[in-house]
Amino acid sequence: MLRKILFQNQNKKQLVIALIGSMLGILFLISSIHYSVIINEFGKGKDMLGPNTLIVQKKVTNSSTLNISKIDFSRSEIDKIKREDFIKDIQPVLSNNFDISIETSDPLVPYFRSDIFVQSIPEEFIDVKINSWKWKRDDEIVPIIMPREFLIMLNTFMSARGIPQVSEDLVKDVSFQFKVWKGGEKEMFKVKIIGFTNEVSSILVPSSFMEYGDLKFGKINFKKITQVLILGEKGKFGLVEKMLKSRGLEPKNAQLIVGRLKSIVGTLFIFVFIVSLVTVFISILVLIQYIQLQLSKNTFEITTLLRLGYPERTLSKVITSNFYILFGSISVLSFILFSVVKMVVDKICLKGGLYISTDFTFQSLLGLFITYFLFLFLVNKVVVKGIHKLF
Amino acid sequence: MNIVFQHVMPNPLRSLIHNADSIWGKEFSLLKGQKVLLNATSGKGKSTFSGTLFGIRKDFEGSLLFDEKDIKKISNLDWSNIRKEKLSIVFQDLQLFQNLTVAENLLLKNNLTETFDVLEIKAMVDRLGIIDKWDVKCSYLSMGQQQRVAIIRALLQPFEWLILDEPFSHLDVENSNICLGLINERCSQLNAGFILTSLGSDHDFSFDIELKL
Repeated sequence: MLRKILFQNQNKKQLVIALIGSMLGILFLISSIHYSVIINEFGKGKDMLGPNTLIVQKKVTNSSTLNISKIDFSRSEIDKIKREDFIKDIQPVLSNNFDISIETSDPLVPYFRSDIFVQSIPEEFIDVKINSWKWKRDDEIVPIIMPREFLIMLNTFMSARGIPQVSEDLVKDVSFQFKVWKGGEKEMFKVKIIGFTNEVSSILVPSSFMEYGDLKFGKINFKKITQVLILGEKGKFGLVEKMLKSRGLEPKNAQLIVGRLKSIVGTLFIFVFIVSLVTVFISILVLIQYIQLQLSKNTFEITTLLRLGYPERTLSKVITSNFYILFGSISVLSFILFSVVKMVVDKICLKGGLYISTDFTFQSLLGLFITYFLFLFLVNKVVVKGIHKLF
Repeated sequence: MNIVFQHVMPNPLRSLIHNADSIWGKEFSLLKGQKVLLNATSGKGKSTFSGTLFGIRKDFEGSLLFDEKDIKKISNLDWSNIRKEKLSIVFQDLQLFQNLTVAENLLLKNNLTETFDVLEIKAMVDRLGIIDKWDVKCSYLSMGQQQRVAIIRALLQPFEWLILDEPFSHLDVENSNICLGLINERCSQLNAGFILTSLGSDHDFSFDIELKL
């Protein structure tokens, strides 16, 4: 009966508009949070190099070919780049200064051999458990990170021999070995592929192995730094790209495209997130105003009930619970709509070859709960205060 | 519960000249179980008296005590309990829910304390001659009929004092007497007192005290 009394003067049209606004606001909010997280995490874990990492080199021009300009980095050049605000770190990429080849040593796989070049980068740039990326002189096995291009090459070779192609997981179990030599001296090392990367075209080896090879089999004493590894600030790829251009540097193209796309789409979703936040805020504000209007329209009813002996808390419970249920239903409905939208978007991405995570992100669910509890808090505050004033 | 007035003077009445026998600004007590008549002409503050005693108005000087407790210091939650169990009222403007039926208006009050069952309430409604209006919305009732609904509503709770603010203003003598009989009976059952404000008539009832404003 209390509900009948307290909700008899409702303007349902206004309520429905406010609720639809809230529903759309929440839908956009959780969608933008979800896809911001997904985009941020895109590529993470699949590549052994961490996100926002670029390997850059100097552009090879006619003058550099004619030895007029340098293609290696001096220490001062590296320091200058390091001082930029959007650069988190910069480290040299070391290349081998010794002869090295890789070959299969597996009876199940046909013999394959190729001269290669290897590189090493500091451990902190590699997205791998630190223990598996260690090598000491007496260690039997050298851990390596393979460029995906190498796998493509290997599969081309396999199919030419009429052997089924191998996946990333399968190739990790194939036995390979390094042969390192200088003149008549040679040494063999078993190798273990621990991951793959798109970011470099050479095989990555631990720094300790590189140092050992250079020391024992090295051809010249002085090593030039021709490539550096840059860790940019998140979402500032535009600035990184501008800097690279002005300094005549070039990254691997695909890296920059992914970085740029992540930057643009990430910014877009931040914009959508802000708009959604404003939408949710405004719709909650409209709902709060609606509740205030209801309280004002029901002044006589509330006052009389208080005079009859109904406690403030009983009346505020009746009013707030009604709005808790309404907003709860709207939140659930928004989540269902979000699930449908997500399903469609995920399908489109999958169709286009974009393998994004199809799980619900924790952050989007957290956003939904925070919005709901913020609403509960505000409604409770407004209703309790409104009724208290009428006592 | 005894009620003690200590120099109570409502702010809106401060500028008026009050008679020597007016209770405003005086010190006096109302003892539990007393039947009190508050007699005054219009504009002397009968409704202000009722509102102040019921905790609706706090704009007064002096002190008003319920068993030595200053009513200005009573919390809202305690007021709800007092209005549920110790103090009941028939407002001059009745304050019935016009969109609710007689039954709904009465049950709304009774539900707070479950003092009576429906049959007992119906018996009271029947006694006051409006049983045919049980399921009729209050907005369709005459003022006299509504007054009787408001009187019954005030009786549907335990109380120590009942405040009646001109409760018979729209009733004829016969119906007034029936209502007063029911009120007196209920007060006697509860060993409660009542304060009836009136424009001059004592409704042929023998009151313990008569107050003047």
